[in-house]
Amino acid sequence: MNRRRLNRARDAAGPLLISIIAWAVLVYLVLPLAVVIAISFTTTEYLAFPPVGFTLNWYQRFLADPSYVDAILLSGRLAFGSTLIGFLLGVPAALVLKRGRLPGAQMLGNLFLSPLILPAIIIGVGVLQISGTLGFARSFEAMLVGHVVIILPYIVRTTLASLEGFDTSLEEAAQDLGASGFSTFFLVTLPLIKPGIIAGCLFGLIMSWIDVEVSIFNTVIAQSPIPVKVFNYVQYSVDPMIAAVSAGTIYIALILVLLLDRLVGLDKVAGQQK
Amino acid sequence: MHINRFWAAILLGIPLIYLVVFFITPLGMVVVDSFSNREGELTLENYALVLGDSYYWRVLGYTFWIALVTCVATLILGYPLAYYMSLIERRRAVRRLCFILILMPLFTSNIVRSFGWIVLLGREGLVNETLMWLGIVDRPLRLLSTEIAIIIGMIYVMLPFMVLAIASVLQNMNGALREAARDLGATAFSTFLKVTLPLSAPGIVAGTLIVFTLSISSYVTPRIMSGGRSVVSSMLIYDQFMLVFNPYLGSAIAVVLLVASFALIVAYTLLLERRPGRRASP
Repeated sequence: MNRRRLNRARDAAGPLLISIIAWAVLVYLVLPLAVVIAISFTTTEYLAFPPVGFTLNWYQRFLADPSYVDAILLSGRLAFGSTLIGFLLGVPAALVLKRGRLPGAQMLGNLFLSPLILPAIIIGVGVLQISGTLGFARSFEAMLVGHVVIILPYIVRTTLASLEGFDTSLEEAAQDLGASGFSTFFLVTLPLIKPGIIAGCLFGLIMSWIDVEVSIFNTVIAQSPIPVKVFNYVQYSVDPMIAAVSAGTIYIALILVLLLDRLVGLDKVAGQQK
Repeated sequence: MHINRFWAAILLGIPLIYLVVFFITPLGMVVVDSFSNREGELTLENYALVLGDSYYWRVLGYTFWIALVTCVATLILGYPLAYYMSLIERRRAVRRLCFILILMPLFTSNIVRSFGWIVLLGREGLVNETLMWLGIVDRPLRLLSTEIAIIIGMIYVMLPFMVLAIASVLQNMNGALREAARDLGATAFSTFLKVTLPLSAPGIVAGTLIVFTLSISSYVTPRIMSGGRSVVSSMLIYDQFMLVFNPYLGSAIAVVLLVASFALIVAYTLLLERRPGRRASP
């Protein structure tokens, strides 16, 4: 009797201990972001944590500085541009790889995923070299082609994954009933693999939005995406204004996470990245 | 759905051409550059310099050391969180909150995340204040620009990858196996040790591989957390390309880093395959 009670107590202690550790780790994950957000509201001229008072002054100052607004717009154009190109290249490629009955499709698939395991800094260097040869070194276009390389794997992988668990008899049925290959794709296939494509594109968008390693080799100071601009700033000094800029990127991250949850469901996404 | 050959060639051909031009060719150029000098001659001098100088070996060794520590630490911190998330499968709201909290840092730039740690690890930062309040130290410690700072920053950046890799395996695990072990009289702890842990091995392998490969090439976090000193290989590569303007030496360092990391990853996967009963594929 005693022993059973002891066992039960021990059984309850395990999950309790695990949930305490888990929540401590979650706090660790959120703490630096919360700190950046908190200090962006301080009324002091220096970084103060906990913040002193409350002001939106730093946000006003950064939004009034055209160089920051330009950097955010540049990052936005890069993210949307590279995601669009990544979508146009990645989805058809995944479709053919899965359905084309090609010899060596597996190997080609690995080729499309390989930028994931290659250091981003080496991709950045490589893009610098090729764009120099082709005559567009250190420009928006150079960053764009580099970002497409790093986000393409995300789009190809999620599209491949959604084609994996796919009931092909639905497509066969459509074609038996007289639908052309073209309309079968748009009316049957596309709606079914849409969540995978959306997840891949959102991941691509984010990877471009937060990239420093590829951009830093292919940009000039006057034309930097926002993470590079923050990076160049933080190396020399830190102040509440840069905290406000950083906090702004955290709000965008939150919006994207919630969007992903809404459109695809976070459970499904979790197994997909990297 | 049948795709005819013509369309298949176009739909796959264009993306392939893109990859060849902007991914394969640039890599080839880096490799060629590593065997070249300013005069455009083929040479081994870059490799002679990189492999002959103990400084480069030390930096490479340090790069791998940081990656290893990061790997082990993220596994120790990440596993309980991933396991917790598999225990609360039915509490969907809590699970969703966990996912949001894990993905938020992942969706924030490394630079912003490192910035948060600069504030936390400062002389009057939260970490020092807490340590002093607890009476562990009586003067603030110098944490910024130290090895501890680099490692804390790296663990922070890599942790979400480890958690998600393990969680995705635990999430798909057959709960009936756990219940069977319990019904047969195993304690919760031995059920974990003999059933859950071995079954989650593929997640551990995938997680450690991801964290290791990302860690050795990480640039932003070590740069910020080390206070700008060049301590890991990726920084040397950056310095050669952007500050010293010697892309040839920079390329050689990049190739050495790449070859060394591939060799280690292959060794790691071979080691795992050899072990009986633990045949895990990433």
